[in-house]
Formats: sequence, C-alpha cells, structure tokens
Amino acid sequence: MSFLVLESIKKSFGATQVVKDFNMSIEKGEFVSFLGPSGCGKTTVLRMIAGFESPSDGAISINGRNQNTLKTNQRNIGMVFQAYALFPNMNVFDNVAFGLKVAGKSKDEIETRVKEMLKLIGLDHLADRYPYQMSGGQQQRVALARALAPKPQVLLLDEPLSALDAKIRVSLREEIRQIQRQLGITTVFVTHDQEEALSISDRIVVMNAGRADQIGTPSEIYNRPTTRFVASFVGTLNIIEATVIDPAANTVQVGENTIRLRESIGALKGGDKLSIALRPEAGSLSESAKGDTSLTGQVISSHFLGSVIRTKLDVGGNQISFDMFNSPDAVLPQPGETLTLRFNAHDFLIVRD
Amino acid sequence: MKASKILAWLAIAIGAIYFFVPLIGTFEFSLRMRRGVYSFDAYQSVFTDDQFRATFGFSMLMALVTIVVGMLLIVPTAYWVRLRLPQMRPVVEFITLLPLVIPAIVIVFGYLRLYNSSSWIPFTGSTQGTNILLTFSYVTLALPYMYRSVDTAMRTIDVRTLTEAAEILGAKWPTIMFRCIFPNVMSGVLSGAFITLAIVMGEFTMAALLNRPAFGPYLQLVGANKAYEPSALAVIAFAITWLSMGLIQLVSRFSKLTPSRP
Repeated sequence: MSFLVLESIKKSFGATQVVKDFNMSIEKGEFVSFLGPSGCGKTTVLRMIAGFESPSDGAISINGRNQNTLKTNQRNIGMVFQAYALFPNMNVFDNVAFGLKVAGKSKDEIETRVKEMLKLIGLDHLADRYPYQMSGGQQQRVALARALAPKPQVLLLDEPLSALDAKIRVSLREEIRQIQRQLGITTVFVTHDQEEALSISDRIVVMNAGRADQIGTPSEIYNRPTTRFVASFVGTLNIIEATVIDPAANTVQVGENTIRLRESIGALKGGDKLSIALRPEAGSLSESAKGDTSLTGQVISSHFLGSVIRTKLDVGGNQISFDMFNSPDAVLPQPGETLTLRFNAHDFLIVRD
Repeated sequence: MKASKILAWLAIAIGAIYFFVPLIGTFEFSLRMRRGVYSFDAYQSVFTDDQFRATFGFSMLMALVTIVVGMLLIVPTAYWVRLRLPQMRPVVEFITLLPLVIPAIVIVFGYLRLYNSSSWIPFTGSTQGTNILLTFSYVTLALPYMYRSVDTAMRTIDVRTLTEAAEILGAKWPTIMFRCIFPNVMSGVLSGAFITLAIVMGEFTMAALLNRPAFGPYLQLVGANKAYEPSALAVIAFAITWLSMGLIQLVSRFSKLTPSRP
C-alpha cells in the first residue's frame, strides 16, 4: 500500500473549483514534484496535505491513516515555505528547536537533535544568528532543518527556491535532494520551474486547471508527453499540424513530406488533421546522421546562442525550431536556404488535447 | 545659500518659536515662586504634596492596568482580523476610530446611564467597580492609537505564514500567540503602551465625572487654586509625555525584531 494517498480530492472556493478529482499515490521515500503554472491548483493540493485547507471531497491518508479529521498540528508533517517563515524573534538554534520544544522533548534530546540538523545543513557555526543576519539561502536551509527536526512522516516543500537567486537555487536544490535521499523522507515539492522538477524528482505530476494532466518520471514527462498542455509546458516543443494520409499505415503529410509514425493514429480517417510534436534537439542536419525520417523546408532564421545554434524552418506552413551543438567549424544556415532534417520516427509524438 | 533653504530655516524657526516660547515662559514662571530669585520651590511644593503622590500613583496604576487590558484585547483582535477576517478590517478600523470622533464627555455620560448603581451592571455602585469602568474607558480612549501601532507592527511580519509555520510544527494557539506573534509585534505593543501612558496621565473628563482621584483632575484643582504650582505641574506633564515619546523612539530603534522575508 502506498504511503501517501490522495483519493478523488476536490476543492472549491465559493463557485470556483480549483482542484478537480485529483488522485495520486506516493511511495515511502519518494520525491514527487507538482509542476504547473500559477493557479493550476498545485499549492492548494499541498495545503490540503498540510491541513491548512480541507478538501471539499475526497480523502487524504498517510501510512494508512485518514488525515481529513486531523488538525494541522496533529499531522506530523514538515513544511518549508517560499517566504522562509523563520521566527524573527528566535535565533537559528531556537528556530530549529521550536518543533521539538512544542513536542515536549527533553533539553538534552533537543540539543542533540538541533546540532545534528544544523550539521546536516552545514550551518552549525551559525546557531546564534538571527534570521535577519543571514542570507536567503542560509535562511531557507535553516527552514529545512526546522522542518526536519521533529522527524516528520512527510516533507512538503512549497516553492522553496523561488525567492533565491539562480546560482543558490541550483546548489540548494541539489542539497535538498541529497538530504532527502539521506533521510529517506517522503517529499512533495511544488514548483513552476520545470528544470527544478526534472532535475530532482523521482516522479512529476504535471497539473493543469486543477487536474493532474500526466504523472510520470522526468524522462517520461519530457520525452513522452501525453497531452498538448504537458508537451507545451515542459521544455520547448514544436507542434506540427499534419494531415492523415493512411491511418492503417500510420502515415501523415507535413508540407511535401510524408512521415510514417510509430505511434498508432487511432480512429482518424484519411484527410483528418493531426498534431504531432518534435523536440528541437531531436533533429540533425548531417547526411550521415541516423534517422529513418526527414523533413525538408526553407530556413526562416538562424541564431547563434553560444553552446547551440537555433534554426527556424518553414515546413508546409509549420515553423519548426531545431537546435544543433556549436562547433568551431559550424556554419550558420542562411535564410531562404533549403535544408533537410533527419529524425527517427519515434521522435514524433502524437499530441492529444 | 539658496532662497528655498533660507525659507526652510525660517519656517523651522517660526515653528520652534511657536512651540518653545510658551514652554520656556511656563518653565520660567514655575521658577519664580520665591521673590527676587529663581528657585525650584514650586516643584518642591508639588512633590511634597500628598495629593500629588496619591493622584500620580493612582493614574500610573490605572495606566498600567489599561495597557495590560488593552493589549490583551487588541493584539488578538488585530491578529484575528489579519489572519481570518481581512474583510472585516474596514469595520474594525472604523470602530477603533470612534473614540476620536465621539467626545469623551459623551462617552462618559453614556457609561453613567448604562452602568449606574440602579442598572443591570452597576459598575458605579462601588469604588472597585468605578475603577474598572474607568479602566475600560481609558482602553476605549487609547484604542485608536494602540490598534494602529499593533496593526502596523503586524504588517511588518508575515502573520499568516508564521502562524502556519508554527502550526505545522505542532504548536497550538496559545503557543503561536505568545511565542511567535507577541514577541514579533513587541515594538508596536510598546509604542501603543507609551502613548496609552501619556493619555491616561493627562486625562481629565472621564476621571472627574467618575469622581476618581486621578492626576488629571488634580492638575485642574491645583490650576484653579494656586499660582506657581500649575506651571510646575505643566512642565512635569510635558516631561512625562516627552519621556514616553523618547522611549517609543528608543524601542523602535533598538528593536532587533527585523522580519525574515525574501
């Protein structure tokens, strides 16, 4: 049985339903990210797990125990907030010790645990500092230690990196993941940053308009998006409008090019329109490149972006971007030039709404 | 020097003269009790007066009780409005402003009608009851200042997130209130406390009409019957007010409770 189970969760604020029939099972020790744009309901789901909001319908259980009737302070959950939320009147030691004091632990026990936690986050030398004397990254580390100190059964991270600068963000997310692995704690991470979600999660839930559009590993989410929303939200993707030629043979037409898809077209008929997707990094210009499929089109523009060269092609009215790695002898394709891109048929994905 | 700078200095000078000349005049007059020489005889006379000590002590005690009652009423109210009832904020702000609009004499006559010795709640029927009523009326008078200073202090911390952070760590309401919220709004609480102290020490109407031996009525009594002592008392009253204001400044300046925000 899964450790954290969200069963048919619904949540409405007045007439607006922000979470619609959300189902999810999370295993013990798993790191799951809720990814989605602002207003998709990811934070509301997290707040329902924490107990700050009650579901309008559905059940939340942790380790087989229904949480719906429990108050926030009875759930034994740790949470890290976007705004750090350290207590300004307490120093680092007292902040980390807060949950342990509330739980009525002995003085020795508190001291040992707080020291252990501060060592874990590498801030044992700053125990006497107040929050206002620390940087954002340090404050968020302390917030993590504070959340972990009472040994919670689940750790919730509500966009904990959003308020930090880019460099700290990368190092802290790796640190969070390493600590999570070390402690083996079940973690739910909310973010709108796809790179963050892809880099540290065991599984990702891509949320859209109150629903889980797709749940899968980072690789599945990136390489095999199942809906148009997931395809367009995660990474850069070319959406190509194609016309079905022969449904039985899975062939479609894009401009003058005929492509045989690996995935079944399904119930469509010849002449029907179909959306297919292609990642910009999937194609190659090289004649010797492996690939069973090709697309020929005219160059619209080409930009040098440092490590990659991004070129836009017009193929039968579709604008297709593709990236190739920079090399000292790389020549930028010129606008108007005709180019042939080679792909593998399995790089194409059928996009369903 | 530019003309605008000269004008600015001129405005400051006029303002300073307007405020300080009467004060200096009062102070100078308070020193003239002994003929021909300056002396502190008026101050000595005031400080040795038993009635001064009794009324000053009474008002001080009332001020302390008012501060405690006011804080226990206002901090949870401001907290609750911020956290759970933000839509009620305009209503609460309006209520807290009422004592500035309704004259104290109207309020106290209302009290006398509602709480006289033949009413359902006969506060004025006993000395203790009247003292309680006086405390409540002082809390009402201090409400606009106290509420605002506490509310402003709450604005500088993220009350909602701090509450949630404490709650998820297992804390219950009393712990959240007294260990996480109160200490972080202490600068506002103290500012409100000092303003309350200044108000209570100089208040006349409520204390006089409820017939309590407070410092305000004593000031009036001395003013009506003596020559130099009222000036000395006026200077003492100013000193108390300035001391309170200085303490407010000190508290806000040395307050270590800077919020931890991104």
